[in-house]
Amino acid sequence: MPKAYDVVVVGGGHNGLVASAYLARAGRRVLVLERRSLVGGAAVTEEGPPGFKIDTAANLCGLLRPEIQRDLNLAGLGLQFVPFDPVVAAPSEDGRVIRLWRDPRRSAKEIAALSTHDAEAYPRFGAFLVQLAAATDRLATMTPPSVDAVSLGDQFFLLRQALRVRKLGKAALTRAIRMVPMPLEDFLGEWFETDHLKAVLAMDALLGVFRGPKSPYTSFGLLHAYAGVANGGWSFVRGGMGALTNALANAAKAAGAVIRTGADVRRILTADGRVTGVELADGGTIAAAVVASNADPKRTFLGLVDPFDLDPAFRLAIRNYESEGMLSKVNLALDRLPEVPGADGASPAHLRITPSLEHLERAYDDAKYGRVSAKPVLDILIPSVVDPSLAPPGKHVASIVVQYTPHDLRGGSWDKLRDKLGDAVVGILDAAVPGFERAVVHREVLTPVDLETRFGLTGGHPYHGEMGPNQQLVLRPVPGWARYRTPIAGLYLCGSGAHPGGGVSGAPGYNAAREILRDLAGRHA
Amino acid sequence: MGLRYPRTSIERTEEGTVIDGRSYDAIVIGGGHNGLVTAAYLGRAGRKVLVLERRHILGGATVTEEVFPGFKFTVCSYVCSLLRPEIIRDLDLPSHGYQIIPVESTFSPLPDGRYLYRGGDSEENRREISKFSKRDAEMYPRFGQLMVKVARLVGPQLAMTPPDLDSMSPGNLRKLLGLRGHFLGADEETLATFARLMTMSSADYLDEWFETDVLKGTMSASGIIGTFLGPRSPGTAYVLIHHYMGEVDGAFRAWGFVRGGMGMVSESIAAAARSYGVETRTGAEVRRILTRDGRATGVELANGERIPSRVVASSADPKRTFLGMVERSDLPQDFVRGIEAYRTEGSSAKVNLAVKEPPNFTALPGAGEHLRGAVSISPSVDYIEKAYDDAKHGDFSKRPYLDVMVPSMLDPSMAPPGKHIMSIFVQYAPFHLRRGDWDDRREELGDTVVDTLAEYAPNLPKAILHRQVVTPLDLDREFGLTGGNIFQGELWPHQLFFMRPVPGWAQYRSPIKGLYICGSGAHPGGGVMGAPGANAAREIQKDMAVRRV
Repeated sequence: MPKAYDVVVVGGGHNGLVASAYLARAGRRVLVLERRSLVGGAAVTEEGPPGFKIDTAANLCGLLRPEIQRDLNLAGLGLQFVPFDPVVAAPSEDGRVIRLWRDPRRSAKEIAALSTHDAEAYPRFGAFLVQLAAATDRLATMTPPSVDAVSLGDQFFLLRQALRVRKLGKAALTRAIRMVPMPLEDFLGEWFETDHLKAVLAMDALLGVFRGPKSPYTSFGLLHAYAGVANGGWSFVRGGMGALTNALANAAKAAGAVIRTGADVRRILTADGRVTGVELADGGTIAAAVVASNADPKRTFLGLVDPFDLDPAFRLAIRNYESEGMLSKVNLALDRLPEVPGADGASPAHLRITPSLEHLERAYDDAKYGRVSAKPVLDILIPSVVDPSLAPPGKHVASIVVQYTPHDLRGGSWDKLRDKLGDAVVGILDAAVPGFERAVVHREVLTPVDLETRFGLTGGHPYHGEMGPNQQLVLRPVPGWARYRTPIAGLYLCGSGAHPGGGVSGAPGYNAAREILRDLAGRHA
Repeated sequence: MGLRYPRTSIERTEEGTVIDGRSYDAIVIGGGHNGLVTAAYLGRAGRKVLVLERRHILGGATVTEEVFPGFKFTVCSYVCSLLRPEIIRDLDLPSHGYQIIPVESTFSPLPDGRYLYRGGDSEENRREISKFSKRDAEMYPRFGQLMVKVARLVGPQLAMTPPDLDSMSPGNLRKLLGLRGHFLGADEETLATFARLMTMSSADYLDEWFETDVLKGTMSASGIIGTFLGPRSPGTAYVLIHHYMGEVDGAFRAWGFVRGGMGMVSESIAAAARSYGVETRTGAEVRRILTRDGRATGVELANGERIPSRVVASSADPKRTFLGMVERSDLPQDFVRGIEAYRTEGSSAKVNLAVKEPPNFTALPGAGEHLRGAVSISPSVDYIEKAYDDAKHGDFSKRPYLDVMVPSMLDPSMAPPGKHIMSIFVQYAPFHLRRGDWDDRREELGDTVVDTLAEYAPNLPKAILHRQVVTPLDLDREFGLTGGNIFQGELWPHQLFFMRPVPGWAQYRSPIKGLYICGSGAHPGGGVMGAPGANAAREIQKDMAVRRV
């Protein structure tokens, strides 16, 4: 008989690890089951050619909740952030580079070469978004209210958050409310006139989202990016993203959680509408009264749970949950770093190739009809510029997010398009940074289908599902089930498919652990 | 070639004569349906009111004009469903000639010769939709039931003056608490559906319910009419419920055609207004709104004539009103910036035809029942989305979405015996063209529309006797709709409710005391609804009662 557990966590991604650490710290006996041979989920560092360590999926950290860092003493466990400056360098088609720095005044100085109007607006733009992100920060660690009966406590909490925004001033309040439904093109248009700058900033909101800059409800995605700025700025993790999840795993283990890798959960077991445990792919079963799934909602409810345990209307709602991804990853090992034109000889650690808003919109048009964009948008991170431990001396790794490559192709298959995409991406890079192509010594292309297979992300969606307002707050993942609980007693969601969604924040895991503990204390589970 | 109209020339005399007219309580700028509603309500309350209309005819974009001898075109707007029932009752419009002919069917022909027909009979709808999908036929009535529930949640907000989110006045707080109660009182499914409709694209939302392309195409088209968005743009799902909000003769949903054309809506309201003593003047173009010490004191006409008045209500759109008729220095800078940012780029056009025989559709030959309703060229969601793609990149659609009516089938008096008129609503036609301008490309658009329709009704090109193409530029120039936007500004969420036209100024008042807006640029927005006009009249009355103006 295996040791009995209070809670089994399905999936050892960063959120599953956060949840298990908190549960174990509260004295619960926790078992984490991870299908792969390493923990971390989509926040992992994997070895490419010998000596090259590559962040194969997520590649940047900015949202990790300070509560979690503090509570779990992650710094003590070796977590170290590595900032970089410029924050982004964006080559334009005419050979110029827009560089944005940690210090907005320094950015403004560079922008002044393009437009004095934009240079004047840029620091105010950043200040507004940072303030707004800070004012709404507490929403991330709240359990969304129950719509059926909004408790007075929740009403009071929400009113207080509204007043926090109000404190920024009437003009800021108005701007914040208007911003939510606005298309990025319009919102950015009210601040800036330089198209290339607008395209660079638009990508902050569009990364990972199946929308274009003309789509309504895209502006508030900027808050996601600026929440990272408000949280101390976006940075790399020393040793790669895997170092972060390793620290989380160590925190969980230190608190008493047991982590098993190579343990593929095949089924979540139930009896009389209650969770009783899980069954592994090898046929073994593990009993537990509580199961927290770090897998995405579709995988959890359509893949791991017996259909007869769920109401058809709920299953339909889950099926309708939007989770088609359109990101690909191209991971490269480089034997040298060619100079970026216009960057004064310095090597930026973050390049972004998105020449114009129209370019973005047309790339989205392609994806909309199930075609791989002929001119995808690239977000390139070269962490080895500031963290030499990731590659042999003088060599580098590049982790490239390729946007507007839809998971569901209307014609053709990803198996045939994979290499073509890799060539296209390297070609685009080579045009912007001459000599890039010759520097590549190893290339791995992960299409949305590959991301789905390797990381278990349904549809290849990096955030476990779209982050539009129709899948936020009380609506995430589906109306009526935004409080981490599910129609099956004892089964919880603790991944990015729950509020507040994707990104390496740890907040869904943190919130889910709180709700699980609350139920265990009240014996609801 | 310009827009075909018997033009009334308006001369601008240098100084004009200042006629010290009789003193009016209210001057209404623009005799569109909303302006007339405001005037009628104020007149009914005993106020002395004057309506000034620039054109030779009242009605604004709700007009019937005999553009070609014997053929009466409903030049712009062409169906009615949203006109508020309380307005019809209060102003007793039926006794002034307002008569609705229900239009219940939508006929969507397909290029392959099949067609989808939906009418007022639920059993027939089930049969017709079953031809494509049994599942869809089953879902269809359930969809309608849910939409009606949400429409009931939203409906009451249309007749209300939006609250100010940032005012602590007791009346405003009461309103906010009332809203909170109204929404918290609804059941979870209705609330969640409302939230999802507000934020989802009509394509995504309809995908959850239906599988038939032409059904989804036709239904999603209703979500994009008059707006510069495609069926895959988030937020467009919301408009689906508007189609369940229409109350024709008390029946929830259904469209209507007005006997005598849409002009009869305006004429009946004008008649009601006159019965309350309201004066109306056509050919009277307002050049300026006169102010003194931050208060509106009257208007100045293009001919120099000045007419004093206690208040001025403008049914012109917000841009025309505040950027065109008022001194900028009279307005706070923030307000001006807000009005400048207010989106009014139009995306639709109208083609009106005089034909010697009705269109004969390959999919369903003959002049049957299907021609007494709407004919929708919307074979699929992709078709409409691609039409949108053309427009968002600066051109009119190569194959546009068309909403066609043959009004003379319902009201033969609209055309000479045996002949017909056709009203074709066209989308997308952006106000700003990347290549050429509308004066050069007007007929090119007309040809595109006729060619598109001819793919479904091949007899059409040879049946045409006359053609009138109304481009967004014409809507701007001739009808005074800035940017050619038929709703006086996009109905996007950030331009709705307490943000219409700009946040802080959604209560029909303006920074200038005594100046109000009463057109579609105010809550609840466009469509032949009359609600902005009625709501504005209520606020004006309130201010007059406490002598604030």
